[in-house]
Amino acid sequence: MTEKILTKDKQEEFLSRLIKVYQVFAPVEKEGNSLFSQINTPEELAEEYRNTKRPPKELFFPHSEALFRFRKGQVLEENPNEVERVIFGMRPCDAKSLTLLDMVFNGKDFKDPYFIARREKTTIISIACARPQITCFCTSCGTSPVSEEGSDILLFDLGENYLVKSITPKGQQLIDSLGDLLTDTQESDLKKRDELIKTALVEMKSEIPTEGLKEKLEGMFDSPIWEKIHLKCLGCGICTYLCPTCHCFDIVDEAVDSEGERVKNWDSCMYPQFTIQASGLNPRLSNKERLRQRMMHKFNYSVSNYGQTFCVGCGRCVRNCPVNLDIREIVKLISGK
Amino acid sequence: MKQIQSRLRQTARQLLSEGKVDLLIGYRQGSLPLKTTPCFVSQEEEAVGLVWNSFCTNNLAVYLPGLFRPDPRSRKREEKKVGIVVKGCDCRSVVGHLKEDQVPREDLVIIGVPCQGMIDEKKIVAKLEGKEIIKAKEQDGQILVVDEKGQEIRLAKGNFLRDSCQVCQHPVPPLYDILIEGETARQALSDEYAEVKELEERSIDQRWEFFQREMSKCIRCYACRNACPLCYCPECFAEQSQPRWVGTTDDPSDIMAFHLGRIFHTAGRCVDCGACEAACPMGIELRKLTRKLIKDVEELFGYETGVSVEEPPPLATYKLDDDDEFIK
Repeated sequence: MTEKILTKDKQEEFLSRLIKVYQVFAPVEKEGNSLFSQINTPEELAEEYRNTKRPPKELFFPHSEALFRFRKGQVLEENPNEVERVIFGMRPCDAKSLTLLDMVFNGKDFKDPYFIARREKTTIISIACARPQITCFCTSCGTSPVSEEGSDILLFDLGENYLVKSITPKGQQLIDSLGDLLTDTQESDLKKRDELIKTALVEMKSEIPTEGLKEKLEGMFDSPIWEKIHLKCLGCGICTYLCPTCHCFDIVDEAVDSEGERVKNWDSCMYPQFTIQASGLNPRLSNKERLRQRMMHKFNYSVSNYGQTFCVGCGRCVRNCPVNLDIREIVKLISGK
Repeated sequence: MKQIQSRLRQTARQLLSEGKVDLLIGYRQGSLPLKTTPCFVSQEEEAVGLVWNSFCTNNLAVYLPGLFRPDPRSRKREEKKVGIVVKGCDCRSVVGHLKEDQVPREDLVIIGVPCQGMIDEKKIVAKLEGKEIIKAKEQDGQILVVDEKGQEIRLAKGNFLRDSCQVCQHPVPPLYDILIEGETARQALSDEYAEVKELEERSIDQRWEFFQREMSKCIRCYACRNACPLCYCPECFAEQSQPRWVGTTDDPSDIMAFHLGRIFHTAGRCVDCGACEAACPMGIELRKLTRKLIKDVEELFGYETGVSVEEPPPLATYKLDDDDEFIK
């Protein structure tokens, strides 16, 4: 597909033009936390960010979502259709995470129309990472700081310019509509891009041994290793709620008498009530079983079901765990490395 | 610090080798700069991994009630002696556990460490203004940080203490079996409740605005609750489904109901260890709310939490000669 140049002095106009046509979401700083939120002017874009604290999954799979309203067994109204959106400034790890969520919510067996509608109406403009953080390990998780996977357009920050690369027809269409803001690439731009790619890969210093991990985990359900790993886990939901790929939910009726909403809420396998049954039995009685589930789901079950590890190496859980329970260390322990 | 650390390791080795404890909870080096991580030591040889420095922020008392609870499958409680490393605030949480009969005193070995105040990692991160910290260590009362460009930055520890440490009145654990010898630094603040008073003086609308703003950050991860040593209920009211007291949505009313319920439950019990605020990934100013309750309990009942096991808890006590001031 095509590669063009967007000079940074035109970035503002680029965003303004997008805002006129689309709902534009971009990294913003809100009450001290960075997250993807709708912007109405280009100035709202967070100035400097490595990656947002909150992953972009909530734009497709909201924390709480009313599926429909009902009264006395009758569906009154369904969730309205989404409008055309652009997400600007996503990182390749998060773009990859959306392709994983697609497998769950738009797979062979199950289709989530709400998720699918949002995905179809969203164009994703990612920015390649030039400076990975010390907690980043995406190259161990089937992606890279410069990966195109999951993005419609990928930008490379070349200093004064962005190199704009369209990845999908949807991305190409968007680039074409803003063609007057873009110029052709020069040889020097391509050289700079190649350098950026090289540096980003060299700078990626953290890794986890994912090779053979799925097979290793096969026989480890009853391993004594879990007895020790979970001890310091507090059982909170930070790792799952800030994870771009964790996607468990619970459906409840928020109703007074017979009128109300059916709501889909995020849920976490780290919570005790996640598996509690009507009889009162809870098959996952302690953090041991819950943490094992989280690791198994990411590195074994998902590989069996979708052929993919459900971790993209964004490092959010590593940075935000209140007891520094580092998923990289758990994986190393499991691998015996 | 180094001396405290070696004394601590020595003590741990001795307790484990003499069989006085089966398990010891302490801190070891974390996987990231500015962090230690809780560790559970059961072998004498592992004691060498214990650390003591200005990054030992976690309140380890949070693990105690769970360790002494009967196994949910066998419904039996495993006989074990547990040793725990505590700072002043952590120890006051343990006093709470003892008072509320959550932890058997005879099976607990409290290893007190005089505290010089712990570092608030978030303050150092903010100071670095987006530059990533690659390495950090403590040296002569300073925090030595190396940023991503290899630049060394020296920070005066005193400027980066946690807010809870800045108003701490009990750096020495009030209850212990073994006290590690070491110096403390008691903070002398002119008015420890200045922040609470500032909040009290605001108008109702302004306070509502503050509360709404803080609550808007919440992602319902329950880290505040789970990091709190007092929140040991096996089933939290926020999780009960029959009846359901609080909805599980991200609607502000559900979020507020959860926090109000939890925070009020800590009245007369919270020791201001700061674990809730430190655990919160979204930076909610929870201590402003918990400290308001601490101040209220102090003013209404003249009670300071976590200092004595014997003194009855004010909100669980009935006195015939109570003047019932509140109802007149």
